[in-house]
Amino acid sequence: MLTKFETKSNRVKGLSFHTKRPWILASLHSGVIQLWDYRMGTLIDRFDEHDGPVRGVHFHMSQPLFVSGGDDYKIKVWNYKLHRCLFTLLGHLDYIRTVQFHHEHPWIVSASDDQTIRIWNWQSRTCISVLTGHNHYVMCASFHPKEDLVVSASLDQTVRVWDVSSLKKKGASPADDILRLSQMNTDLFGGVDAVVKYVLEGHDRGVNWAAFHPTLPLIVSGADDRQVKLWRMNDTKAWEVDTLRGHMNNVSCVMFHAKQDIIVSNSEDKSIRVWDATKRTGLQTFRREHDRFWILAAHPEINLLAAGHDSGMIVFKLERERPAFAVSGDSLFYAKDRFLRYYDFSTQKETQIVPIRRAGSTTLNQCPRTLSYSPTENAVLICSDVDGGTYELYQIPKDSIGRSDLQEAKRGPGSSAIFVARNRFAVLDKSNNQVLIKNLKNEVVRKSGLPVPTDAIFYAGTGNLLCRSDDRVVVFDLQQRLVLGDLQAPFVKYVVWSSDMESVALLSKHSIIITSKKLVHQCTFHETIRVKSGAWDENGVFIYTTPNHIKYCLPNGDSGIIRTLDVPIYLTKVSGNKIFCLDRDGKNKTLVIDATEYIFKLSLLRKRYDHVMSMIRNSQLCGEAVIAYLQQKGFPEVALHFVKDEKTRFNLAIESGNIQIAVASAKEIDDKDHWYRLGVEALRQGNAGIVEYAYQRTKNFERLSFLYLINGNLEKLSKMLKIAEVKNDVMGQFHNALYLGDIQERVKILENAGHLPLAYVTASVHGLHDVAERLAAELGDDVPSFPEGKEPSLMPPAPIICGGDWPLLRVMKGIFEGGFDSTGRGAVDEEEEGADGDWGEDLDMVDSDGLQNGDVTAILEDGEVAEDNEEGGWDLEDLELPPEVETPRVNARSSVFVAPTPGMPVSQIWTQRSSLAADHAAAGNFDTAKRLLSRQLGIRNFTPLKSMFLDLHTGSHSYLRAFSSAPVVSLAVERGWSESASPNVRGPPALVFNFSQLDEKLKAGYKATTDGKFTEALRLFLNILHTIPLIVVESRREVDEVKELIIIAKEYVLGLQMELKRRELKDNPVRQQELAAYFTHCNLQMPHLRLALRNAMTICFKAKNLATAANFARRLLETNPNENHSKAARQVLQASERNMTDASQLNYDFRNPFVTCGATYVPIYRGQKDVSCPYCTTRFVPTQEGQLCTICDLAVIGADASGLLCSPSQIR
Amino acid sequence: MAGSPDHLFNLRNNFYLGSYQAAINNSDLPNLSPDDAVERDCLVYRSYIAFGSYQLVINEIDSSAATPLQAVKLLALYLSNPHDKESTISSLKEWLADPAIGNNPILRLIAGIIFTHEEGYNEALKHTNAGGTMELHALNVQIFIKMHRSDYAERQLRVMQQIDEDHTLTQLANAWLNLAVGGSKIQEAYLIFQDFSEKYPMTGLILNGKAVCCMHMGNFDEAETLLLEALNKDAKDPETLANLVVCSLHLGKSSSRYLSQLKLTHPEHILVKRASSAEDSFERAVQSVA
Repeated sequence: MLTKFETKSNRVKGLSFHTKRPWILASLHSGVIQLWDYRMGTLIDRFDEHDGPVRGVHFHMSQPLFVSGGDDYKIKVWNYKLHRCLFTLLGHLDYIRTVQFHHEHPWIVSASDDQTIRIWNWQSRTCISVLTGHNHYVMCASFHPKEDLVVSASLDQTVRVWDVSSLKKKGASPADDILRLSQMNTDLFGGVDAVVKYVLEGHDRGVNWAAFHPTLPLIVSGADDRQVKLWRMNDTKAWEVDTLRGHMNNVSCVMFHAKQDIIVSNSEDKSIRVWDATKRTGLQTFRREHDRFWILAAHPEINLLAAGHDSGMIVFKLERERPAFAVSGDSLFYAKDRFLRYYDFSTQKETQIVPIRRAGSTTLNQCPRTLSYSPTENAVLICSDVDGGTYELYQIPKDSIGRSDLQEAKRGPGSSAIFVARNRFAVLDKSNNQVLIKNLKNEVVRKSGLPVPTDAIFYAGTGNLLCRSDDRVVVFDLQQRLVLGDLQAPFVKYVVWSSDMESVALLSKHSIIITSKKLVHQCTFHETIRVKSGAWDENGVFIYTTPNHIKYCLPNGDSGIIRTLDVPIYLTKVSGNKIFCLDRDGKNKTLVIDATEYIFKLSLLRKRYDHVMSMIRNSQLCGEAVIAYLQQKGFPEVALHFVKDEKTRFNLAIESGNIQIAVASAKEIDDKDHWYRLGVEALRQGNAGIVEYAYQRTKNFERLSFLYLINGNLEKLSKMLKIAEVKNDVMGQFHNALYLGDIQERVKILENAGHLPLAYVTASVHGLHDVAERLAAELGDDVPSFPEGKEPSLMPPAPIICGGDWPLLRVMKGIFEGGFDSTGRGAVDEEEEGADGDWGEDLDMVDSDGLQNGDVTAILEDGEVAEDNEEGGWDLEDLELPPEVETPRVNARSSVFVAPTPGMPVSQIWTQRSSLAADHAAAGNFDTAKRLLSRQLGIRNFTPLKSMFLDLHTGSHSYLRAFSSAPVVSLAVERGWSESASPNVRGPPALVFNFSQLDEKLKAGYKATTDGKFTEALRLFLNILHTIPLIVVESRREVDEVKELIIIAKEYVLGLQMELKRRELKDNPVRQQELAAYFTHCNLQMPHLRLALRNAMTICFKAKNLATAANFARRLLETNPNENHSKAARQVLQASERNMTDASQLNYDFRNPFVTCGATYVPIYRGQKDVSCPYCTTRFVPTQEGQLCTICDLAVIGADASGLLCSPSQIR
Repeated sequence: MAGSPDHLFNLRNNFYLGSYQAAINNSDLPNLSPDDAVERDCLVYRSYIAFGSYQLVINEIDSSAATPLQAVKLLALYLSNPHDKESTISSLKEWLADPAIGNNPILRLIAGIIFTHEEGYNEALKHTNAGGTMELHALNVQIFIKMHRSDYAERQLRVMQQIDEDHTLTQLANAWLNLAVGGSKIQEAYLIFQDFSEKYPMTGLILNGKAVCCMHMGNFDEAETLLLEALNKDAKDPETLANLVVCSLHLGKSSSRYLSQLKLTHPEHILVKRASSAEDSFERAVQSVA
């Protein structure tokens, strides 16, 4: 039993759950009805109008109503929103035992000690039926959840089932009820509207409770004979099925569980018992020490039960509902309905993987409790409470997810089991306080004692354990047996690691502690209600759920609510603004949340002001809370951007020192206080202009005068003097005069104010003797005397400069101010785009032309065909093993030890198994490689191939530092590796050249040609020709492509060589024309052909060989050139049509098909004799035989050769 | 293994996994038994040797030091002076013949290392094959791999696994062997290095191990990333450079800078040697074919 909530009170006689809200009503023996929020654990309301015990209480399904019935014979209907009783139904003549609303009709059924059951219409507030028949107290009566039946239990030892269908017909409309009012008295006794259908006899004592099964035609009853009886009914009869014995005293209440096949009963024997409804055996018993049980209630929708007893009530669950799950990368593994299931977060698909063991239903709560997944082993450990803690190990079938044959799981005892490393899992052995480290065969590899008394273990990174004891957790390194971290923490229930394994969240019942991986405390969050689950988002924010909220925790300890929840969920993963979770039915759900607030706060915290700024600019968030947060965190200048209210804005501006905004706001507000504060801040910053402005606005003349004095602004000071004079402000006048150093004025003011002695003193001290004398005359005898030896000093020094603002204080704004205008960036983007355009065009052209080669790549990528196994299952071991020498192991260091003979290096195997030159070169067997090439392709000149040979050889081995200071191990790298390759069977060497690289080079060559970089292009095409002899491809098809590539490269090499030659020949126009003409007969890509034709056309046209030029122009037009070129071609055509002649004779007959000799660059017309290069197939005039091919620079012209061998498929 | 925590665990691990500086820095351990202290000193000096600080080791170990330390000094002498190996080897042989110290595991280990350098595998095995410490077994595995006798290497590995399957050296030796036999085992080797990288701070050795696995699986892009990370840690690490040369070749990138760097800093590296001998054999072959 999982107790969720408990109250202490007077005896609880009636209970009712609210359908939607987490509320429960408890009616007490004292007459009070309490309304509790069982989730928050608070008393929401109490209703105290009944006189004497209230035995029955019931919530309405949908309206804010509940009904109660008590020993005062009254049935009261209450509105809990209005906190008052709406009306009272009177009629019963004795205690009322139970009351219940009908689920759809406006009816209430009540059972009473007056031996009747009454059905009331609470809308018309009348009794519509009185069910008589019981001849003792009726202890309970309730409607069937679907059918028109009522079941009642009575101390007359019977259970009765009543048919109330006739009421429905009669009570179709409220008007009928009123009509029937008069009738009612007549059929008060022996009414015909509700009839007894069955009378169930079998209990030997009074029956206290009877209840329908929610879906099946079953009834369960409990009686003072201490028995629970199960009844079945059909259309015509009802009969006793079985009796459940076990209670030691009167059974108070009994009911079917809505979702499971169990019966729950409670009794005055102070116990609640759970029974298997099919096997009719007791499953579990929960006892209380002193309290007799009186009532049970089930939540209509969720898995909650409540029981009332002598001193209060409990709300509880029978079974845990949290699904066991484990998250690994993008995968979620969880247990549901006896199956291990898999959910892919990216595709949001779920699959059933393997069935898991069906827990014997001998006791409750045997479902999987925790689940641990090992991605490397693709295995799952499931722990449950079966037999006091058992784990089961399931291997997930690799290929056939969804196949559901039951595999026998490996299992063992232990309440906690988790994977700790590859092929290792730890099982907690609580009794010896140690962990057993096991491998996947379920064999114990090691045992390790634990540093603290541990009752659960959690994963804590490879090779580490997080051990939980009552009040602390430790991270323990299994290999070193060292405690890496230790932290006091209230009983930790769940542990959630961040994806980088750097932070961990420890979830307790009411708190979350976030620590580093070594358990260094970072922050703690407290909750008033239960913490249900949590997950880390990608940014290091911890998201968690309580029963009714999703909340976030920031690394600095700030937290907040993201959204509310209707039902508890279990978070599995947070990804951006998506939250993945499992609900209580084990269904995967995705919630979209607004992550703005916490991302904003996180960005602030991490000082990622660019993010902050962009979020402000998009103004996705606003509100007092954010402003307050910003202010509190010391970012008033950021908050400034949110505020509309001028006063707040002013305050923030002052706080952040933003004078401009402050002035603007002050103008808007325009009251003295704000101007004053603006003045103070401006003065602090040294912004005298604003200070002056602020003082002017508030007419604060004294301050203004002082400001002018400080600034040395005499002009304005004298103005102030005048203003004071006008205002008749003597003191102000005097001050200003004093500041100005204007003695005459001072004397005058003093005189006017009647301070003659002072005026006299002032005048005489400052040497205004005439005035002094005049005053002395006026004063007569009262002329004051002067103290001796004092110099007058009331003259202000003359100002050096009259300044405006002082040097201003630097006000922190930088990051934010700058960022709000976003014009700067666009320009760069545009520029880049422009560049892109250019590139794109270039590429496009080459791409479209190189289409055929595109295919080549595709095919190349297609085929990782099987390796060559030409010599069957040739195995190193078999060949080279010396006769088995029994090496004496005892004292083996003596000379008896015979070391094994060295095995065969892999490179040697390569040469033995391959007749491909590249393989031999990679193996370092250059000699044979060269012989092969010479035989196959007639190659004699190896100098161009030197670097290729060396690269192949260098690239064939990798280097592994093994034992420190010992020589490194070089390892042969093999090509065509696959997961399923068997070890010890050697593949051919990995080669540094591959066909796709050549393809790249070909493209580069095309591009260089297009760009007119002929030397560069020539180099690239030659490189292709030089690499091909050392290329290895897999399939026959690719062999053909390689051969094609030779031809392509050869044509280009020939063409480019001729073109380069032509450029050298400045003074031989005829030869120039010829070479240009031959170039057009090389097999070129269309754009290149076009260029060659234009070239040839121009040269010939310039040399007045109009007929030939016309031919080129015609051919050019056939290639669909662009506007400009076709125009030129047409012009040439027009010009030459007028005069179809050639000025000079060329060795060029375009009507007669020919190939060009690769060495002499003369046409070899069809039918003429020629010799060719055995490798690149270039043709030559016969005189070239025996020479080195000038095109490929490798083979000897006319040499014998067996042909290109570049694939193992050619040998098979 | 006894229940008490192993004081030298971290030191050993750091040494095996190639974080020599960490091994040196964290060697100041309190309350060591005399035996542990000698082992500690050995590991520290061997770390210095791995760094190439031979002279420091030669100077610091005086003639009164314990046999294992003398053996370590011998290794430093051997490696510091490639031209005068004979005297070192002869004194090594002398010591090995001495029944009083000849059985010392560190001495045997050093003998194994030196003879392996000399490619005298039989001679090396004569001293190491009896085993006795995890290190000796691991060296055996390596020697057998060098001899291309993975069957023998596997037997040695099994012995190690019986002693302590989770020992760092066992895991490492397992990875070496897996790489040597190839095929599907490469993946297991990768997982072993992956485990190390999760459990311990990244070292050039682990990164190189992972990179080599990647290369053998044909994944040169990932290998390059790993190797560049290793290069960041130590720009002069010979294996990193050598593997980068190989990796760059396979990626069709220029390898010349890495190669010349390697030639400059480690002219004796096996890759450099192979390259120059290959060049010679190319020229020879040209002669013979022509």
